[in-house]
Amino acid sequence: MRFTEDELRKITLNAINDLGEKASPELVKKVVASAVSKMQGPSDLPLPPKDQSIGRIILTAFGMNKPGVVSSITKELSDSNCDIQDISQKLMDEFFTMIMIVDITNSPKNMKQIQDSLNKIAEEIGFKVYVQHEDIFRQMHRI
Amino acid sequence: MPYEFEEILETIKMTEIEHFDIRTVTLGISLRDCADRNLEVTKQKIYDKLLKYGKNHVNYAKEIEAQYGISIANKRISITPISIPFDAFKMEEFVEIAQVLDKAAAEIGVDYLAGYSALVQKGFTNGEREMIKSIPYALSSTKRVCSSVNVATTKAGINMDAVNMMAEVIKNTAEMTKDSDSVGCAKLVVFCNVPEDNPFVAGAFHGISEPEVVLNVGISGPGVVLDAIREAGNVDLQQLSEVIKRTIFKITRAGELIGRNVAQRHGVPFGIVDISLAPTPAEGDSIADILKAMGVEDVGAPGTTAALAMLNDSVKKAGLMASSSVGGMSGAFIPVSEDQGMIRAAQSGNLSLEKLEAMTSVCSVGLDMIAVPGDTPTTTIAGIIADECAIGMINDKTTAVRIIPAFGKKVGEFVDYGGLLGKAPVMSVRNLSCEKLVMRGGKVPAPMRSLTN
Repeated sequence: MRFTEDELRKITLNAINDLGEKASPELVKKVVASAVSKMQGPSDLPLPPKDQSIGRIILTAFGMNKPGVVSSITKELSDSNCDIQDISQKLMDEFFTMIMIVDITNSPKNMKQIQDSLNKIAEEIGFKVYVQHEDIFRQMHRI
Repeated sequence: MPYEFEEILETIKMTEIEHFDIRTVTLGISLRDCADRNLEVTKQKIYDKLLKYGKNHVNYAKEIEAQYGISIANKRISITPISIPFDAFKMEEFVEIAQVLDKAAAEIGVDYLAGYSALVQKGFTNGEREMIKSIPYALSSTKRVCSSVNVATTKAGINMDAVNMMAEVIKNTAEMTKDSDSVGCAKLVVFCNVPEDNPFVAGAFHGISEPEVVLNVGISGPGVVLDAIREAGNVDLQQLSEVIKRTIFKITRAGELIGRNVAQRHGVPFGIVDISLAPTPAEGDSIADILKAMGVEDVGAPGTTAALAMLNDSVKKAGLMASSSVGGMSGAFIPVSEDQGMIRAAQSGNLSLEKLEAMTSVCSVGLDMIAVPGDTPTTTIAGIIADECAIGMINDKTTAVRIIPAFGKKVGEFVDYGGLLGKAPVMSVRNLSCEKLVMRGGKVPAPMRSLTN
């Protein structure tokens, strides 16, 4: 729990009133500190925000077709504990396009980290890989 | 698969090839509770408040950028027009406030902070006079502070005394920043009917009816619209309008999603999405190129105003359908220095100041980032401002003037700022005087349209 300046001032004034003539800077400080810690309570300790993305992403990969493309990308995804929910691919002459819908809720990585590791793979196999959140597509193409 | 192959590829193409991005997420912060009779206390309060709300602004925007895979080009701050809370201060004190704003903006990590502003369409308070006089000193002693002054509205008419004063301020600002191509003038806008929730700098400020803190977002995608028009080929104008609307609809929806998420991350209310088509100096990210793709040989040709009117209107219609929080300017911007196509048209003489003025009667802003010779008389600049205000006042729309009387430069030379501000050729101004008109002073009375009650 966090306090605003006003709340702290109120607590301090209360403490001074309660102490009456005994109030000294040290004493007030002590009383205020104990009041604050009482109000916070152990269960109110702020949890660090979990750095994790939720929901589904759409992964798009383009490049010249060659063996091992799908496997290298899906291996990276499974290593990151991502769940591939849909996959679709097209081959136009030698040009290969693949689109996947991937659930990243259970992945320990956030979207940025997934993108970074996929970029590394993409560079190795000479592909372009784009990752965007599904919400973007839903907003743009569905009313 | 829940999405078509084509839909997915279209989105990827927009973000990766056609420069679609979120142009700005602007955090509006009220400074109305920061006034104190002691200047030092006031400055500390301003600094503390800006840092309190703004310190994570850049980080939050970056997180959302990473989460959604759409880039957010600029992160900015707007504040309450400072003449309102700090009305009791004098000129030198306003300059010190500007310096604190600059320091806070640097600390937060934003490139611009806007709202060094005053609203004087109906008259001045003493503080507003002091604040306006301080503008040249404020802009020449800071890097990130942007200033704007509203001198006219449809309801109030045109305050010609304010117009004259601003012409003087513009000339002084140009001279005081002459070592950097009069860059101060690029951060100074004179408005008619200024919107209070505009997220686009330099004219942004946090309006007086706005909440404590609010997040507004400006989207932009001239490149996306350009490609859509090119792909549509030889269709009639109604169909062309549909093509524009469909494209704008999609980018507005994406913009609102991003804006709402940044606001949520801040824990502040989401304000509006401004669907303006804002060009950048990048090749292909140009309004001029859109007008050319629509069918005029170059910007400035007969027909340009009609094409721009249709573009602007289609943008608004699509935006309204896509989001119920559309606000700000929401139209097409036609700044000269920030648009490669406009620069070329102005340089080759195809685009004159007069044609540009006609175009501003149908676009969303006005004469924006125009360089004129440094020896242009102050009264002529006042005349240009008055003309723009008249267009805005009569048509019940926002118009603005951001003009740079480039100190020591002549027609044919350039002012070059690099980055987003780009570079502008110095354009010629008619050598006819309007001194007797503007020096009459007083006010142009509010038009018929003001009596709507």
